[in-house]
Amino acid sequence: MAVSDWRRIAAAPRISWLWPGWSRLPRDARDTLFLLGVIGWTVLPHVWHLPFWCSLLTVLMLLWRAQLAISNAPLPGRWALVAVLLVAAGLTFWSFKTLLGKEPGVTLAVVLMALKTLELRARRDAFVVFFLGFFLILTHFLYSQSLPVAAAMLVSVWGLLTALVLAHMPVGQPSLRQAGRLAARTALLGAPIMALLFMLFPRIGPLWGVPQDGQARTGLSNSMRMGSVAEVAQDDSVAMRLRFEGQPPPPRAMYFRGPVLTRFDGVEWLPLASRSFSTLAPATRALRTTGTPVRYEMTIEPLRLTSVPLLEATGSAPSIEGYQVFGLADLQWRTDKPLHERVRFSAEAFIDFRHGPVERELALQDDTDLPPGYNPRTLEWAAALRSEPRYAQAEPRVIAQALMQHIRTAGFNYTLAPGEYGRDSIDEFWLDRRTGFCEHFAAAFVVVMRGAGIPARVVTGYQGVDPTPNDGYYLVRQSSAHAWAEYWQPGVGWVRADPTAAVAPDRIDRARRLVPAAGLVAGAFGNVSPQLLEQMRSGWEALNNRWNQWVLNYSRGQQLDLLKELGFSAPRWEDLALLLICALSALALVGAAWAWWDRHRIDPWTRQMERLRGALRRTGVNAPAHEPPRALAQRIERRFGASGKPLARLLLELERHRYGRAAVLRPDKALTRRFLAQARVLRSRQPAGASTT
Amino acid sequence: MAELAASRLAGLNPAALARARFRAWVDARQPRTDTLLLTQRNVYILPTRAGWMFGLTLIVLLLASINYQLNLGYVLTFLLAGSGVVSMHLTHATLRGLTLHLKPVVPVFAGDPAVLDLVLTSPGAARFGIGLKVSGATDATLTWIDVPALGQAHAQVSFQPPSRGRQETPALGAETRFPLGLFRVWTVWRPAAQLLVYPKPERPMAPLPTARAVAGGAHPARSAGGGEVEGVRTYRRGDPLKLIAWKKAAKTLDSGGELVSRDTSASSHQQLWLDWQGCGALAPEDRLSRLTAWTLAAHRTGASYGLRLPGTEITPADGDLQRRRCLEALALWQ
Repeated sequence: MAVSDWRRIAAAPRISWLWPGWSRLPRDARDTLFLLGVIGWTVLPHVWHLPFWCSLLTVLMLLWRAQLAISNAPLPGRWALVAVLLVAAGLTFWSFKTLLGKEPGVTLAVVLMALKTLELRARRDAFVVFFLGFFLILTHFLYSQSLPVAAAMLVSVWGLLTALVLAHMPVGQPSLRQAGRLAARTALLGAPIMALLFMLFPRIGPLWGVPQDGQARTGLSNSMRMGSVAEVAQDDSVAMRLRFEGQPPPPRAMYFRGPVLTRFDGVEWLPLASRSFSTLAPATRALRTTGTPVRYEMTIEPLRLTSVPLLEATGSAPSIEGYQVFGLADLQWRTDKPLHERVRFSAEAFIDFRHGPVERELALQDDTDLPPGYNPRTLEWAAALRSEPRYAQAEPRVIAQALMQHIRTAGFNYTLAPGEYGRDSIDEFWLDRRTGFCEHFAAAFVVVMRGAGIPARVVTGYQGVDPTPNDGYYLVRQSSAHAWAEYWQPGVGWVRADPTAAVAPDRIDRARRLVPAAGLVAGAFGNVSPQLLEQMRSGWEALNNRWNQWVLNYSRGQQLDLLKELGFSAPRWEDLALLLICALSALALVGAAWAWWDRHRIDPWTRQMERLRGALRRTGVNAPAHEPPRALAQRIERRFGASGKPLARLLLELERHRYGRAAVLRPDKALTRRFLAQARVLRSRQPAGASTT
Repeated sequence: MAELAASRLAGLNPAALARARFRAWVDARQPRTDTLLLTQRNVYILPTRAGWMFGLTLIVLLLASINYQLNLGYVLTFLLAGSGVVSMHLTHATLRGLTLHLKPVVPVFAGDPAVLDLVLTSPGAARFGIGLKVSGATDATLTWIDVPALGQAHAQVSFQPPSRGRQETPALGAETRFPLGLFRVWTVWRPAAQLLVYPKPERPMAPLPTARAVAGGAHPARSAGGGEVEGVRTYRRGDPLKLIAWKKAAKTLDSGGELVSRDTSASSHQQLWLDWQGCGALAPEDRLSRLTAWTLAAHRTGASYGLRLPGTEITPADGDLQRRRCLEALALWQ
């Protein structure tokens, strides 16, 4: 009684410290509370995705169940649960207008889980809870596969396995710690199988179409409205990781070309529509490069875009596993479907390049269109500039330089929070307020150029990388999202012009990211020790990077690479399956061999005695299996007298080793050797044909 | 010839024959023994219903991982699969290597449950959640025990013997689902020990027959025995107080019996015969029941008594040995 009490208290020292009643709970109640805790922990990260009513319902039901467990009250009737389930299904339909798809599915799964805890009657019910729990864990990965989520879910798996082990220890009051250790041991022993399956299980594409979620994602998009890039600038998460072979290009050349926005309707910049001049006469792509290319490896986060922001100017399509990549006339790279997973590939870029038509052609007409009735004052300003004598016949290059000069000198301000702009936003920006960030500058630049009759367009993408490489990788963050302009120069083609560089050269040259105001904690921390903060951040990012490279990005390409390293010349996925089957069979054989060996394993003491008895029998002493060492020693002395003394002494020593006060764990091998040698001596001395005693 | 007979039998009922053959094969494979070492040969394993459900869950998880291209989903699925495979080995290892031992079986009376004392010895690690029962009984009768590392655990399994006589101990089953409940591992053990079941004692008991003086009438035994052999009978109403054998009465009262009086009619050398013929016109089993009850009562009074059954006669004596001898004769009477 006292012992079991003590053990129980020792089992949960921390909880009993918080709540003294914990150690006095009956076992059933304790196990139920533990399971409820694990379920709560598993559901918790979903709270941000779930409708409010669902979170509230789940919390209430779990608390109610805990209350029932503590007070040992009967569970509610089945009809009440069915009623709650129907109401929840109705609410789900009301929230999502459907019961199918990811979000309603997760909502219903969470409700079911909470309801099932109120119906824990038989062992079968408990198993339903466990399996629903494993399923819920998987649903988290639909939202995020980051390291913290993985760690939290590992705890969940451990908790569920612990609860499962507890359910199969029906005797007494096993401590949570003991059950947890047993569960961890099971999982750890299973880890090699997991690693093997993970590495070799052939990765195949989706088996059927997955319904797309309408979730809003920050980052690049296919259009540009004033303010949308500012939102991205707040987002410090990583968009891409790059590793260069050899010298990385200078920061000012780090332009990653995303969607090219040509069409302007007065409010929004959009890519070319299908009804445009370029469909009548396709634009000339004509990439002309000089110098040697920079080879780089790139990992792109799932941007949910068909546009692949490659380093300018990447000449040939990289091969991305599972996607078709093709180039557009505007030097943009696209995939046949949005990037829904992290992909890794390598490509080549020429830092010195020219592109676009050299001669004026019909497709350029798209790049001079302006929406009628918008920004009249800017257009007047542009016309006035054009009518100045020195610019009347000037080349586009000269006009562009004049605009840059204007931006530098006319009191323009670079800010991330320019505030709202009205209907004629360019007028307001270019002539009145003169504050904005990259997209204001790029848009205004393009409008003025077009107003002056010069083809120009907005290019969006990323610009700049973190100044110091992290674990060999340069990081491009969502906050590096950028918009710049291109104008057409006869005889040259498209020329990049970054008006932001004119007002905030730091933004381009030193590739400094747009840093929003730090949060309270990070701010205080950064004030105390900026280096420490920076170190911690870069360490975390290195870890994250490894995680992405080795776990999340592990796909068929890596699998085939692995096979190549293993010596397959032209690996296919069938080879993977074959290898997996072979490895699993080998593992099973090892298991069988172990079981066989285990069956034939004899206690080392028994084995030693067997050998000694065998030696004794060869000397002619009858050594029956049931006799202990001391009895054998007496037999030897009776048989050989004084010459048998050494053997007898060894047997008595063995007895002390095994049964004496200072007994040892394993038999002494030296003793066995000495004994066998002595026995041989005795045998050689005695006359042949001696009879046994 | 035997084959011919067998085939003729098979023609009658092939299923029954196959079952009998299987039974015979199993019996030959697992001889009766009081100490059983569990090895690969006598431990069986199959997935439970929960195990199949777990497999189904894994398939669903795998399909979801493939369809949503979730590498962490693969990790989860394969971690669970690995744990499941390991749990199979752990479940098997929970029974494998154990030594089951049946302690000597205590005889019981028909109608009372027989209790088998079992000792489980683990040569290595601790074993958890082992259930023991009589093979064929429902799962509700399972006795759960844990066996400590390098230690022993004691368990009791009870069952209702069908009738009196010498009986084989029923086959016992040991099973476990530890740690994850995905697999059920079990063994069937047929102990060699036999169980003696005495007839059910009659209740309420008919009064003991009166003891009679030994033919010859002298009192040599009394004087020689120094009071060892004394004629006593149960108290009857009207017995004077001085006739009550207080010492003996205290003992019998203590064990739930009645007062005991000195038998004055045959003051010293008396014999109590429990006779088959003295039971009136009862059915044979009822006679055995009555004789059993009388044997117990006579033993309680401490008297010397003998038993007469058709074909068997046990000369009067007293003490535990006599009691056992009589009960055995009653149990085994055909």
